[in-house]
Amino acid sequence: MKRFGVLLLLLVSAGLVTLSAQTKRIFTNPRPEAHFKTLFPNAAGVSSFGGAPLHWKVYGADPKANPAAPPASAGELRRDKPIGYIFWTTDLVPNERAYHGPIHMLVGMDTRGILQGVVVDYNSEPYGYFSIDLPEFVARLKGKSVRDPFVVGKDIQAVSRASITMNGAARALRDASRSVAKAFLSPDQVK
Amino acid sequence: MSAFQPAPDPWGFDETPVETWADILGPQYLDLALLTAFIALAVYSFKRKTVALKYLTFAAAIGYMGFAKSYLISITNIFSIVDWSWPVVKYNLAWYLFFGFTVVSTILWGRLYCGRVCAYGALTQTLDAVIPRRWRVEVPKAIEQRAAWIKFGILFGVISYYIITRDVQIYQYVEPFWMFGLFGTPLLWTLLAVLLVATVFVRNLYCRFLCPVGATLGLMSYLTVFRIKRWSECNTCRICEKACEWGAIDGPKILVTECVRCDDCERLYADPKKCPHWRIIEYNDRKLAVLPLRPV
Repeated sequence: MKRFGVLLLLLVSAGLVTLSAQTKRIFTNPRPEAHFKTLFPNAAGVSSFGGAPLHWKVYGADPKANPAAPPASAGELRRDKPIGYIFWTTDLVPNERAYHGPIHMLVGMDTRGILQGVVVDYNSEPYGYFSIDLPEFVARLKGKSVRDPFVVGKDIQAVSRASITMNGAARALRDASRSVAKAFLSPDQVK
Repeated sequence: MSAFQPAPDPWGFDETPVETWADILGPQYLDLALLTAFIALAVYSFKRKTVALKYLTFAAAIGYMGFAKSYLISITNIFSIVDWSWPVVKYNLAWYLFFGFTVVSTILWGRLYCGRVCAYGALTQTLDAVIPRRWRVEVPKAIEQRAAWIKFGILFGVISYYIITRDVQIYQYVEPFWMFGLFGTPLLWTLLAVLLVATVFVRNLYCRFLCPVGATLGLMSYLTVFRIKRWSECNTCRICEKACEWGAIDGPKILVTECVRCDDCERLYADPKKCPHWRIIEYNDRKLAVLPLRPV
């Protein structure tokens, strides 16, 4: 009787948890603006968040505008020619997971498909603190092209005992960046 | 025949859009093979119930499962149950094999994971085998039975803490398994040293009284299919109860939340020189053999 009760409890719990997992956008940091300067220090402004896939467009300043005027007033942005894109990996590849859930990474990519920077905004990886949370991890990602393989052990340095974490992060970065490149860039732009 | 040809991908990314099983299994097959070999060793040693095989399994658990791969069930896996958040199956087959084996073996045999597979359990049992018996402090039975509840308190406390704060890193203060990764802060190493020194005197201290994973597996052990067989003599005999290092025997009852299937008692049951069940049978056989010589 006790055995049956325990089994039933396990099944009911599993059912309740699965029911509550609706398909909705993975909730990310609602104020990521602080990270934009890290990704694009020379940007004049960004668009609002939106589009499909969800992203921000990054704008440079209009060179024909008055250089004496303060930069980044809305009228001077070159809105017709974004200099790059910023996106959450969790929006592009919501099914990708590492050891304990998805890693929320904010990626900046320019129009040549080169990563300008990555910010690991949130993760719940038990071994994150000696792998993806280290500044070396994001520093090595800067300058990578979407055409790079993003394979742990090849162009992404492996971290012993954090393989699941590192592989999850690498896959998310690769697939998210390539999806954005396919959406907004053309193959000729990306060498 | 005109098979549908998808338009050639102008991007030409070197990832094939459809992964074959060769792509998925390629980087994983060695992990899977070695893990399967270890599981086979653990189950075989459990079935054979010899001491030599048990310590061989411990060596493999500490060296390979512990220091080399750090395959350990952790409280973070229970957090994953709370969040329903798991690694991607196809890229982490070895992990799922490990986790699946733990669940299945617990349902079949009880806390076998604790007694034979867990690298820390293997370490503490090996420690117990080499430390001189004089140093050991025997916990009085009354305290022992109450102290066993502490791990359930810790389990409940940590899960509540996690649900409230979502702070995964709490695992470092609740379990010592990070030691096999050889990473830790000075505070953590100090706390670990205290635990290990205490374990010298109170054997299997962490596993019996403090481990929340053990508490979870202990609860699952209520489902145990293949239980330790007991005889009617067990109602009054105390040999195994005294021999059990885990406080898992209480008269005729085996306490499934404490028993880690170390098989010390099962070796006693099988020994015709020690277990009263066999000695009584043997005595009766000898008595029967001389009976016809007595006058009618």
